[in-house]
Amino acid sequence: MTERLTHRLMLASAAPVAAVVIAVVLSSIVLLISGSNPLAAYADMVQHASKLETQVDILNRATPLYLSGVAAAIGFRMNLFNIGVEGQYLLAFIVAAHLGAQVELASVLHVAFILVVAMAVGGAFSGAAGVLKVTRGVNEVISTIMLNAVVISGLAAWWIVEWQAGGEISATGGRVGTEPIAESGLLPDINSWLEVFTREVGLGKKLTGMMLVAVAVGVVYHVILNRTVFGFDLRSSGANPTASHVGGVSPKRMVVIAMTLSGMVAGLVGMTELMNTGYYPSNPISLLGFTGIAVALLGRNHPAGVAVAALIFGFLDVSSGILQISGAASREIVEIMKGVIILTAVIAYEVVRRIREREEAAAAAAAMAAGPAEAS
Amino acid sequence: MHKRLFSLLAILLSFALLATACGDDEEAETVAEPEPAAAEPEPEDEMADISVGLVFDIGGRGDQSFNDSAAAGIERAVAELGITFTEASPEPDGSNRGELLQLAASAHDIVIGVGFLFEGDAAAVGAENPDTMFGVVDSAMLDFSGDTPTPFGDNIAGLVFAEHEGSFLVGAAAALKSETGKIGFIGGVANVGGLIERFEAGFNAGARAVNPDIEIIGDYITEAPDFDGFNAPDRAKEIALAMYEEGADIVYHAAGGSGAGLFQAALEQSDATGSKVWAIGVDSDQYHTADAGVRDHILTSMLKRVDVSIFEMIRSVIEGTMQPGPTTYDLSVDGVGYSTSGGFIDDIADQLDAFKAQIVSGDIAVPTEP
Amino acid sequence: MLAIELTGITKRFPGVVANDDINLEVAEGEIHAICGENGAGKSTLMKILYGMQPPDSGTIRIQGEEVELHSPAQAIELGIGMVHQHFMLADQFTVLENVILGAEPMRSLGRIDFDAGREHLDEVGRAYGLDINADDLVESLEVGERQRVEIIKVLYRGAEILILDEPTAVLVPQEVDELFRNIRELKASGATILFIDHKLDEVLEIADTITVLRQGRTVGTVKPDQVTAHDLAEMMIGSELPVPDAGESTVTEEVALELSGLRVAAEGDRAVVDDVSLSVHRGEIVGIAGVEGNGQAELVNAIIGIQDPDQGTITLLGRDITHVSVRHRREMGLGYVPQDRHRDGLLLGFTLWENAALGHQTEAPYSRGPWLSRPGMRGRANRIKDEFDVRTPNIEVSAHALSGGNQQKLILGREMVAGPAVLIANHPTRGIDVGAQAAVWDDIREARSRGLATLLVSADLDELIGLSDTIVVMLRGRLVARLDPNDITPRDLGAYMTGAALEAGAP
Repeated sequence: MTERLTHRLMLASAAPVAAVVIAVVLSSIVLLISGSNPLAAYADMVQHASKLETQVDILNRATPLYLSGVAAAIGFRMNLFNIGVEGQYLLAFIVAAHLGAQVELASVLHVAFILVVAMAVGGAFSGAAGVLKVTRGVNEVISTIMLNAVVISGLAAWWIVEWQAGGEISATGGRVGTEPIAESGLLPDINSWLEVFTREVGLGKKLTGMMLVAVAVGVVYHVILNRTVFGFDLRSSGANPTASHVGGVSPKRMVVIAMTLSGMVAGLVGMTELMNTGYYPSNPISLLGFTGIAVALLGRNHPAGVAVAALIFGFLDVSSGILQISGAASREIVEIMKGVIILTAVIAYEVVRRIREREEAAAAAAAMAAGPAEAS
Repeated sequence: MHKRLFSLLAILLSFALLATACGDDEEAETVAEPEPAAAEPEPEDEMADISVGLVFDIGGRGDQSFNDSAAAGIERAVAELGITFTEASPEPDGSNRGELLQLAASAHDIVIGVGFLFEGDAAAVGAENPDTMFGVVDSAMLDFSGDTPTPFGDNIAGLVFAEHEGSFLVGAAAALKSETGKIGFIGGVANVGGLIERFEAGFNAGARAVNPDIEIIGDYITEAPDFDGFNAPDRAKEIALAMYEEGADIVYHAAGGSGAGLFQAALEQSDATGSKVWAIGVDSDQYHTADAGVRDHILTSMLKRVDVSIFEMIRSVIEGTMQPGPTTYDLSVDGVGYSTSGGFIDDIADQLDAFKAQIVSGDIAVPTEP
Repeated sequence: MLAIELTGITKRFPGVVANDDINLEVAEGEIHAICGENGAGKSTLMKILYGMQPPDSGTIRIQGEEVELHSPAQAIELGIGMVHQHFMLADQFTVLENVILGAEPMRSLGRIDFDAGREHLDEVGRAYGLDINADDLVESLEVGERQRVEIIKVLYRGAEILILDEPTAVLVPQEVDELFRNIRELKASGATILFIDHKLDEVLEIADTITVLRQGRTVGTVKPDQVTAHDLAEMMIGSELPVPDAGESTVTEEVALELSGLRVAAEGDRAVVDDVSLSVHRGEIVGIAGVEGNGQAELVNAIIGIQDPDQGTITLLGRDITHVSVRHRREMGLGYVPQDRHRDGLLLGFTLWENAALGHQTEAPYSRGPWLSRPGMRGRANRIKDEFDVRTPNIEVSAHALSGGNQQKLILGREMVAGPAVLIANHPTRGIDVGAQAAVWDDIREARSRGLATLLVSADLDELIGLSDTIVVMLRGRLVARLDPNDITPRDLGAYMTGAALEAGAP
């Protein structure tokens, strides 16, 4: 039994390990071709990442990526491709920033209010795509792409003008943002939590408090998905909607719920920035929604897997700076590494899946040949 | 499910390729000039031990406009001031501007961010690194949160331009060269705090100074916070073709990378109708940076001399005269101007020089709002 | 002269030896039947002979020539043709178009020479005594006629050796007679027929020679006049063929499921289930007979709740459930064994213990309130595995590792341990082997004796007659006859199913 367990564990870890090894080899080849020294580049990356401040950067980067990845993963579990996380988080971001600046509440309530608004807006917007799918048969990929456009060049573009902080446009045209949220509505950094284990964080780096929210989202996602009837309904409906329907799960209902939940988590993506700066800027960090799809893919939609994937992406993104500043390589190598890791991970997972399937089929065939199952 | 997985993968890969393709072709190499105080006779005292970290905006070198102009400035500083530098550009989503500034600050004496989007990060990183000098192109670097605007810090400078003055000159050139009495203006992104509107205001004023009755068609590609307008050549092309169809024969753009679409439109419209129409470029001399095929249609370019500003800023640091807060580079210091490549406006050079002199002397006050 | 000679054919798949040293000799011009349970290796052997899969070892001789087959095209060239169990016809094309598809006679400039095609088709039809109208649209044809089109398609391409893969599975008895007449004509015209089947009476009726496979091996080759069905069954499974038998009636007065005036409309308001009224009592098995596509699927969908009826009521244990959700019906005691296991019954990539909960996840012991109970799920799964003899190494494997029969036992077990009041069994033994089939029958019978009301939809007439307490016949959406299984033969039942008996004025 222990032998079989070891075997299973080895199979499970084979895919990610193989993916990383192959990605490193391929990236080294690319680096060599482009005339850079891969060892020097990796040394720079590792050395840079070993600094506490860089680790804070990585976590700050990984936090919204994780939320975005979980949002995409919820859709994937239901066999839905929510490509609209991008629009959902930007819309939730600007609405939450605006409403958050309008109210005066006690600290905890204020933060909670803003987060709830963001989740409600993201959920409603994404849920609308779900409703369109089940009532009108509109493919969610199409509708969410359209809704992205509605947000990015429509609603957000309009509201940023409508809601811009009055008279605070610099003479040279720097900043157009929403009215800043009062201090009570901001989530303090959690450097002190980190500093319990480490030294003091320097360079003015602040570990985002949203990391705790992201961890909570991950735990809730895991528990709901694997430990509740609802999670079972969701997974089964995603895996086989007709069988699940026969088993009492309405696929239409699950589509709407899954899209809504996905949008709710998507709504939190922009909160990392909002909880830090307190306003919606003219240039909010974009593309997090699309990157989240890659993060979910790499993390196999698994709560912990997505976390690892978000950290890997965070690490690579943060490495892009040091590679340029040290002159070890151009920043494109980071994009290449991301692509290669995803590609090799998908292939490796598929290979492992086939091996496992074959082994199971062989075991089941052996059991059949052995005769009636024994009571165990 | 697997089919789905692979189509997804294909999409992601194309994103990755796109992101890679958007970047520069060359390596971001350390351009450390080994021969200090080389050829140029600029007898600076502390030459060669000043190093600059130049952080481009998204896309880096090769944007034919803003970043390229900055690159020209830093290369001039290498040649004439003997500095060394490294360069970097942010992730496509702009998430790591602050990190890049911080990294640059830890290795350099001067850090320059190309573009107003560095404003907030430069203010924060500047406060953390008081011994490093920071410059941000296109931002005043003033803190408006108090009663009166104050510089973010003694070590933080804003490099701004009198774009309206440069636009005035190309507006005058357009009016002088227009045969139909109709010209056009394409802005990249509206409502970025009036940033692009200033170009329009100067352009319109210059044109009307020549011909009060001239008809000017103005349009913007997108509105903030949708910044696609700075990189949407296809949409710029559509708008430009519509303007040419309406009878405009010269169109000026202040739309960054979208300008390529305008140039293409000018070429196609000319080929289709047989009568030549023109485009006016912006920021750097687009006669040299645009595709060779369209350069015969680029009448002139409004030069925002990012190169001058960066060079001057570095020199001011070396000379110890750097001012915190905004420094405006206007016509009087050649911080803005127009290009003459191609020789298309040589015949009106005198008239334009006259306008320039009037602006420098203050006889003409160029408006900043249309 | 041997038309086909296979020697030492072995083919392994991961974990299974599908064909193990198989020898087969088929004489020219004979009807040679290959029998065996599902999973005995018949299909694999035919795929090898048709060039769809290469054998791992062994030799193939066609008309005495040793050949290596790499593709069906090559097999066709050698005169081997295959009629698949599932027809491969384009519904919107005419018979002629279907027949010449892929082998079109051409005129100049890339035009299809329909006249030549028609001429050749008629020739083939005459030569082999197959009667078909070349201009009929395939969608207008009956199942038996479609099969004939498939056979003609193969003959048109010059096949002299025909492989028929379970050709009777989709036919009613009258159509089977017609098919057999055609097969004899083919033989008379010089064709060699390889006939795959597991219905022993049919095999004995039609074949000249019978080869029996069991677990991938050749058990023996016999002549039909030397053996009985009993002997063949023994050869096939090593024991006597089980027959469905309802045993003593356990029907009670208590109505468990009642349908009244039920109507289900398809697109365009055409009724696919039309005014169906029916009651199933506790302890009763009501069989629904009918040629597939006469509304049985829609009727079942309406009862389990995934399709809304537009008229009529459904009553379960005295409560109107016409518009109640699927989940609620399940919780009230409605069990369901679907026709298509993979589509409607299982989560193939999920573990057995998760599959054991599917459809019952809201009930104890699978869950408590909103929380799943993993021990409850695993416990139930182990119980199902033991009580219903699901052969698997453990309950952690995923469902697609199991054979069809074991998957079916898992599904039936899942529904049975939930203690349903009413079971809808939709083709419960389709595509599973004889052993599993007998187990399914036993389980249904046993539950019936404990008071389960069962609605059995099946295409297996022996199963219907053997198991049911009452049989109703469904034709074009309506219940057209109510029959007593004790005094009806499969042949009579087939006549009702096609409507022939009704037209003839039978009761």
